[in-house]
Amino acid sequence: MKGTSLSGNRRECPSQRLASAARCPAFSATRMKLLIPASLVAIGSALALAQAPEPSQTPKPPRAIKLAMRDGLRFDPPRIAAQPGETLVFTLDNADSTHQPHNFIIARPGKRDAVVQQALALGERGPSSEFAPEGEDVLLHSALLAPEQTQKLTFRVPDEPGIYPYVCTFPGHGAAMYGALYVGVPMPALDADPHVPPATAQRYIVGEGRRPFTQRMFVPDAGPAAIVVALEGGQNFCWDAGQCRLRYVWSGAFIDATDHWKGNGKDLAKLPARPWWTAPRDAFPLRIGDVGGPAPAVKFLGYRLHKGLPEFHYRLEGVEVFEKIDAAPEGGISLTFRIPNPPGAIHLALPASDQGEWSSSVGTWTAGALTIPPGSAPSFTITLKPGASSPSTKK
Amino acid sequence: MKACIPSFALLVALAMPLFAAPTDRDAKVADFFSISEAPMPVGVDPQIGGIDTTPDGKIVAVFHHGQVALLDPQTGAWTIFAEGLHEPLGVLAEKDGTFLVMQRAELTRLRDADADGVADHYETVWDDFGMSGNYHEFAFGPARGPNGKLYVALNVASNGDSIRPEIRGEWSPIGVPREKFYTHWKQIAKQAGRMYSRVPWRGWVMEIDPATGRGAPVACGFRSPDGIGFDAAGRLLVDDNQGDWRGTNELFVVKHGGFHGHPASLVWRQGWNLGDPLHLTVDQLNQLRTPPAVYFPYGRYSNSPTQIVVIPKSPAWGPFGGQTLVGEMNSARLLRVMLEEVHGLWQGACATFLETPALKPGLHRMTFTGDTLWIGRTHLSWAGHEGIARVAPTGRVPFAVVDMKLTERGFRLEFSHPVSSVSLENLAHWTAQRFSYHYHAAYGSPEVDRKAVVPSEAVLANGGSSVELVFPDLKAGVVYDFDLAKIEAESGAKLLDHRIAYTVNRLK
Repeated sequence: MKGTSLSGNRRECPSQRLASAARCPAFSATRMKLLIPASLVAIGSALALAQAPEPSQTPKPPRAIKLAMRDGLRFDPPRIAAQPGETLVFTLDNADSTHQPHNFIIARPGKRDAVVQQALALGERGPSSEFAPEGEDVLLHSALLAPEQTQKLTFRVPDEPGIYPYVCTFPGHGAAMYGALYVGVPMPALDADPHVPPATAQRYIVGEGRRPFTQRMFVPDAGPAAIVVALEGGQNFCWDAGQCRLRYVWSGAFIDATDHWKGNGKDLAKLPARPWWTAPRDAFPLRIGDVGGPAPAVKFLGYRLHKGLPEFHYRLEGVEVFEKIDAAPEGGISLTFRIPNPPGAIHLALPASDQGEWSSSVGTWTAGALTIPPGSAPSFTITLKPGASSPSTKK
Repeated sequence: MKACIPSFALLVALAMPLFAAPTDRDAKVADFFSISEAPMPVGVDPQIGGIDTTPDGKIVAVFHHGQVALLDPQTGAWTIFAEGLHEPLGVLAEKDGTFLVMQRAELTRLRDADADGVADHYETVWDDFGMSGNYHEFAFGPARGPNGKLYVALNVASNGDSIRPEIRGEWSPIGVPREKFYTHWKQIAKQAGRMYSRVPWRGWVMEIDPATGRGAPVACGFRSPDGIGFDAAGRLLVDDNQGDWRGTNELFVVKHGGFHGHPASLVWRQGWNLGDPLHLTVDQLNQLRTPPAVYFPYGRYSNSPTQIVVIPKSPAWGPFGGQTLVGEMNSARLLRVMLEEVHGLWQGACATFLETPALKPGLHRMTFTGDTLWIGRTHLSWAGHEGIARVAPTGRVPFAVVDMKLTERGFRLEFSHPVSSVSLENLAHWTAQRFSYHYHAAYGSPEVDRKAVVPSEAVLANGGSSVELVFPDLKAGVVYDFDLAKIEAESGAKLLDHRIAYTVNRLK
């Protein structure tokens, strides 16, 4: 449920919901001045008359703009284009799920830092004035919006072209949380725009192209203790340290951690491509000794990097297993298992599917299951090649 | 979600920017503490999750994007030691050259087995705890105890989001059924609890034996315990963030087997049979609970407390040596903490320390290298900052309240320099704000029954450097919060940091 809209005559002061109503006196003259859209229009017009060309004779209808405050101290969108003299009706929405309050202030060009400093300088008066400084640098300000609160604000865009910054002046937010209203001037490319936060256009592809590269991360379709690895040659896989098994394989770019790293970890990293192979959700493939029965108890012990490539180490019903996954020379991936002291035969359930085909250098196959007799191989390699349905093999 | 509104209102009412007149303040502080920025490694997101000093005097830091890097303070050169960790929030440099890092999913030992300067063994020391996949399930620590064991603190989940389809560990059946977390999240989010603990040891402090990798529960009742550390006397301290069941930021002397106030984690107590702890009354919870030793009044002292470290006993740190230091996320200041046990309960004071714009906010993790204090900053999308500050004492001792203790009739404040006798005459300058906090499910608490109380006497002792403040109506269950901005030393100096607040759990 969204909070009450504060548009129109703001009957509701957020602080009134406190037990003590004594914190509300600030809704007095200073607040009213800028909260009445008409007075804003008047201020805007006065500015325009002083130093700008004639206002447009045929006023455009007001234009609705949705502007959200999001997790990670961000305005969404970070930039807005406007025509000189037009009227914008902002619908502000504090959609920050991390329970941060935010305000929205449009400042005169070049005055973003000044307004942030002015808000900090309010000191003890900051809360009661909703961290909105008075003075001519501030062209528009919202209320301080509680999480999930919304507000409508009408703004007559100045006639003077320029880049008008907008910013949240809640203490601690101003340095990171800002954007720009482009009035009658062209926008540069987002990644070359000094008027938006530096990270706005930043994308984080983990490892920045280095292969092999190993990263622990929240990724889709795996447990929360997942490990993702970029292999030389362009294959990538997800190995689940909570379950000690391969979960999926995809080819192309490695994971995009932008959303995960921008904030506090709430958003998962993204896979740039659909996996060409995905393990069955609940089937653990490896058995030592007995075939079948419930999934064996596994305990993750870590990994060792060999020239950057991890060899996973875990215990399966008390037996130590090492598992290393690499790009296969002939395409696909190879899994090399080292099981120094297997107490019995090793069984791997590797059903063929149109996602991928398994092959092995040792052992015998029976209906999609590989059996390796005890003592026959201190280590062995199985290979997975993309099958008919794999995105990487489709044209 | 109405649950958010009180938190917001409190935030608004009590938040306090203190960045006015930066240059003057910085210059004043610089007489006593030289503050500078450390160089940062190129191409690494400069948010610090953990920092420590290695046996050979290097700085090790762990970063938001998962790197572990070493700084040679002599040359300013960084080298990357390890990569790919998941939101590491603590690091310990071991004597054998390995590093212990707490990341989201596990406590990991990093070992450079082939001695090429880069870690190649990532050994899982302990991962026997649950993960629902909720973003707020951070993992803090490790702190090394005097017994050689490791201590970590596990954050509970936030109803700012639901859980992941796949979880790690057991799911507690107490509370909203798991299916509804997937199918009816919006409807049940409030019922789930503002912060919830549905997988093991969320909201707990755990003890890990580094030799065996076995973890054992120590204490529960924690919410977002970013700071875990031992004081000079070997007491395990944890600080926790204002929120539901936390009227303000709070510091605990951890009681073995104790419950420290946030109820969600109680479901993981052995033999727990009282059902959903959210349905217990405040009276029931109060009977179980160990109260905070120190409340950090919101805004003036702390909005979000962080790591706990001990100031070295050295001439450079003078009277502060051996004291407990606590970091702070939202404001450019630290806190000093002084504790005492009164009739079986811990209590004491917190004092603002080194409050100055040059420090910047986001003060998350700290380590001392010799006399130099290194402070790594972070924000993780909340208020804060980036980079590493270096603080070196100049050897001059500022006018400060060094210690504060309860007496039978008031408080005794020990100052670093003799107090001017003129300052004693105006008792109004020693006025305290006295208040308490609600213990309740709502987010945060106002300062309840706040009242200005003036001492009836201020008695000088100990050559003028000790003042006893006498309050005829001395109360327990309240905080006495002093702003001593007008107090002067004999030299005429004002206090470098002038706030100190004492939490009275029990009277002497």
